[in-house]
Amino acid sequence: MKTIVEAKQIKKVYGAKGNVFSALEDIDLTVMEGEFVGIMGPSGAGKSTLLNILATIDEPTAGDIVVDGINLTKMNEERLSAFRRDKLGFLFQDYNLLDTLTVKENIILPLALAKLNVKELERRADEVADKFGIRDILNKYPYQISGGQKQRTAASRAIISKPNLILADEPTGALDSKSATDLLESLKDLNEQDKATILMVTHDAYAASYCNRVLFIKDGKIFTELVKGKRSRKEFFNKVLDVLSALGGGANDVI
Amino acid sequence: MFYPHWGVEQMTLFSLARKNIKGNFNNYFVYFVTLVFSMVIYYTFTSLQYSEKIQESIELSDTMSFMFGVSSIILILFVAIFILYSNSFFTRKRKKEVGLYAILGLRKKTIAKMLFYENLIMGIIAIVIGIILGTLLSKLFAMILIKLMGSIAEVDFGISILAITQTVIVFMVIILFTSVQGYRLIYRFTLIELFYDEKKGEQIPKVSLISAVIGVILLVVSYWLILKPFPDEFTTEYLMKNYGIAFVALVIGTHLFFRSVTVYLLRLSQKNKSRYYRGTRIIETSRLLFRIRGNARTFTVIALLSSATICFLGATYSGYYSNEKRAEEVVPFSYSHLSKGPEFDSQVERIIKADHRHPIKAQLDIPVIQVKGILSFQLDYDINPVQLISESTFNKAANALNKDETVLLSRNQAAVIQPRFTEYTKSVFKGENITIQLPQGSSELPFVHMVESNVLPFDYPDFFLVVSNEMFAEIAKKEAPLTYKVYEVENEVTAQATSKKVNKLVGNDFQVSSSFYTEYKQGKEGNAITLFIFGFLGLVFLAASGSIIYFKQLTEANEAKGQYEILRKIGVNKKDIRKSIKRQSLFVFGLPLTVGILHSCVALYFTSNFISNLIGINLIFPILMAIVFFVIIYAVYYVLTVNTYNRIVNK
Ligand SMILES: Nc1ncnc2c1ncn2[C@@H]1O[C@H](COP(=O)(O)OP(=O)(O)OP(=O)(O)O)[C@@H](O)[C@H]1O
Ligand SMILES: [Mg+2]
Repeated sequence: MKTIVEAKQIKKVYGAKGNVFSALEDIDLTVMEGEFVGIMGPSGAGKSTLLNILATIDEPTAGDIVVDGINLTKMNEERLSAFRRDKLGFLFQDYNLLDTLTVKENIILPLALAKLNVKELERRADEVADKFGIRDILNKYPYQISGGQKQRTAASRAIISKPNLILADEPTGALDSKSATDLLESLKDLNEQDKATILMVTHDAYAASYCNRVLFIKDGKIFTELVKGKRSRKEFFNKVLDVLSALGGGANDVI
Repeated sequence: MFYPHWGVEQMTLFSLARKNIKGNFNNYFVYFVTLVFSMVIYYTFTSLQYSEKIQESIELSDTMSFMFGVSSIILILFVAIFILYSNSFFTRKRKKEVGLYAILGLRKKTIAKMLFYENLIMGIIAIVIGIILGTLLSKLFAMILIKLMGSIAEVDFGISILAITQTVIVFMVIILFTSVQGYRLIYRFTLIELFYDEKKGEQIPKVSLISAVIGVILLVVSYWLILKPFPDEFTTEYLMKNYGIAFVALVIGTHLFFRSVTVYLLRLSQKNKSRYYRGTRIIETSRLLFRIRGNARTFTVIALLSSATICFLGATYSGYYSNEKRAEEVVPFSYSHLSKGPEFDSQVERIIKADHRHPIKAQLDIPVIQVKGILSFQLDYDINPVQLISESTFNKAANALNKDETVLLSRNQAAVIQPRFTEYTKSVFKGENITIQLPQGSSELPFVHMVESNVLPFDYPDFFLVVSNEMFAEIAKKEAPLTYKVYEVENEVTAQATSKKVNKLVGNDFQVSSSFYTEYKQGKEGNAITLFIFGFLGLVFLAASGSIIYFKQLTEANEAKGQYEILRKIGVNKKDIRKSIKRQSLFVFGLPLTVGILHSCVALYFTSNFISNLIGINLIFPILMAIVFFVIIYAVYYVLTVNTYNRIVNK
């Protein structure tokens, strides 16, 4: 199997002289193609920082990152942008939809930026809209739709360009349990049917139970790792809860 | 600490207000710059108005004080509107802050006081800076004005108490007014409104085909009314009706154009998917679409005002530009006077000869006979008394003036000199004749020629007839001619001292001055003052409109920061974002400017009916200058906007 993400000795330090704060310390991470990996940890552990670094939105202070065979630390701004556009799908915690675009325009934006031809673009828009059940809101604007619909719109945008890697930062954070389950099911489908590689940060043990593997981060370091293996989702869910209570703090975040 | 005059509560408020300003200087900066700018402009203008140096160096100081007086009122209005506009802009941005104070438990009265102090502090600082900068600038502008008028005077840095007092009073009133607006903000809105104002967000405008169509129709109608050929005869009623309707249609049409037609066009451009869904165009189009309604009124005002400015600037510039030509036409010779006996005549001659810096190039006598004449056709010009001059006199005079017009007449023929300030052509007189009534009977002279060289200063009615030498001699036997003495000197445009002396001696022989210099200089001064004032007002307007767009874009940039961050995150590179900002700004600056230029071209076509009728000169060059000037200043603002916008959203 192919390696999709290979991060070595990632460090991230915030602040200037005198008042430095180390958000990530020597993180090593390998993700294989087709994996669905969860990242958990208490608030402030550095999860978002890690995800942002992998998404090239943020720069590591030290360390090497190779995604799909490309060394990210050696690329200039223009190529990084192109990389984000073509290879990555990012699902943000706060949706990050553009207010002035309709749902449909938001979804197809990555393809429009990549200058794909219109026919293909329309076809793919229909496809993802069906997948997430948002066909009838395609012509609405973000201010006219609910939080769950926004999250599904954001998810559609993240996957429309068939990215090699999907990064999701607390995608279910703002959703009720029904919407959360819908979204997780869609992600699982993507993972199983389309062989998409997914990296998902979450505070929610239930969401984590959808993953094949969960990494736990504490104080900027990898604390432990849990592999689902042959366990059922219920068993895996309980395992995750165990680790979280051992981790301390994190368990309080579970609703 | 001990503050003798302020209560404790007031002092803390005062310092809170001061801290406020210091803390969010960026927010205040734009407003502050507006204040300073307005005061600099106003102070500069009033100190010019009261400058004794300038008044001394002007021969027409009455005209000047009148023009300056009127313009200073326009300027006050302008500056007041500009400040109120930026103030409302500024307050809108601060609604939330006010809400926060209220939540923290400050009483409305206390907040109001605080805002008042804040406004006062900024106002006072702005006045001080304004007067300092204004003093420097007024010297520059005074030099420009004096240069334009062609005078020589030293300008020093005068500080005019009168100007300072007037500036302080005007701005205190304006600041008081904005403070009242601040009070209204606090008392009128509930907390929740103060907080949610920013979130309200503009909504996507609906396409209204009807109002788009009405807009286009109104524009077409107003253009048609304006461009309609000017009637030969017109009444005030006609003017009011035709151009009144045209004006109203133009204003409403322009507003609808920005409000609906552009929306419609942008919507239409979205229909072409293979263009719209390509690159960042999708982002720009939708952003423009969202904001066009909010900008429509500003765009309308800017487009209309800029067309008015271009128009006035073009018209006044052309007046200035053509002054020498006009003076030359109105007063052809350097000096002209009616002969009043040898003693008087030689007195004049001595004065002119004494001026060695302006030696005489030509000196001749022009005998003129005034008779009564009847035309063989209808002409809407009062021709009587008809002034006759002889063929040889005309040819000599034209030659002395370096005009290559000569007439050659046989005994009974006549040539007409085109009456000044009219547009009669040769064909009007062709085949017609004039009957001259003489004591010994009348005689009929056919017109064979029309010439354009005038020989004597303008006097109404201006109807000169050139007749053959034989005819002239014959008539002269019965009707004694008047003799005019004319002189052409070298370098007549500088003959100030001699002209004054001659004018004094000669008196009012003509409606216009009897010496070229006086006519030229007065025209130049009058035109220079108008040009200066329109230039000044135009500059102020330009700067104001440019900054209004700039402020708007800046505010928008701050609001759109998050949106651009999203774009960066989903993989748009910095270069493309910059390109996208450029395109949007180009639209925002270009649209009102283009409409303004179009309007002004149409309006100038209309004004040229009057102007070129009067002076017969080409308006193209001055107008082109005014337009180029506009475009350059807007281009500077455009670059400024793109850079700042880019710095805000695309670091
Ligand atoms: N720009 C920054 N400057 C300084 N410190 C930062 C910055 N961004 C994040 N941090 C710090 O780095 C640490 C990790 O932040 P991060 O956002 O990655 O946490 P997280 O694990 O995602 O937490 P949460 O679950 O609350 O989202 C935190 O302590 C945070 O305060
Ligand atoms: Mg986070």
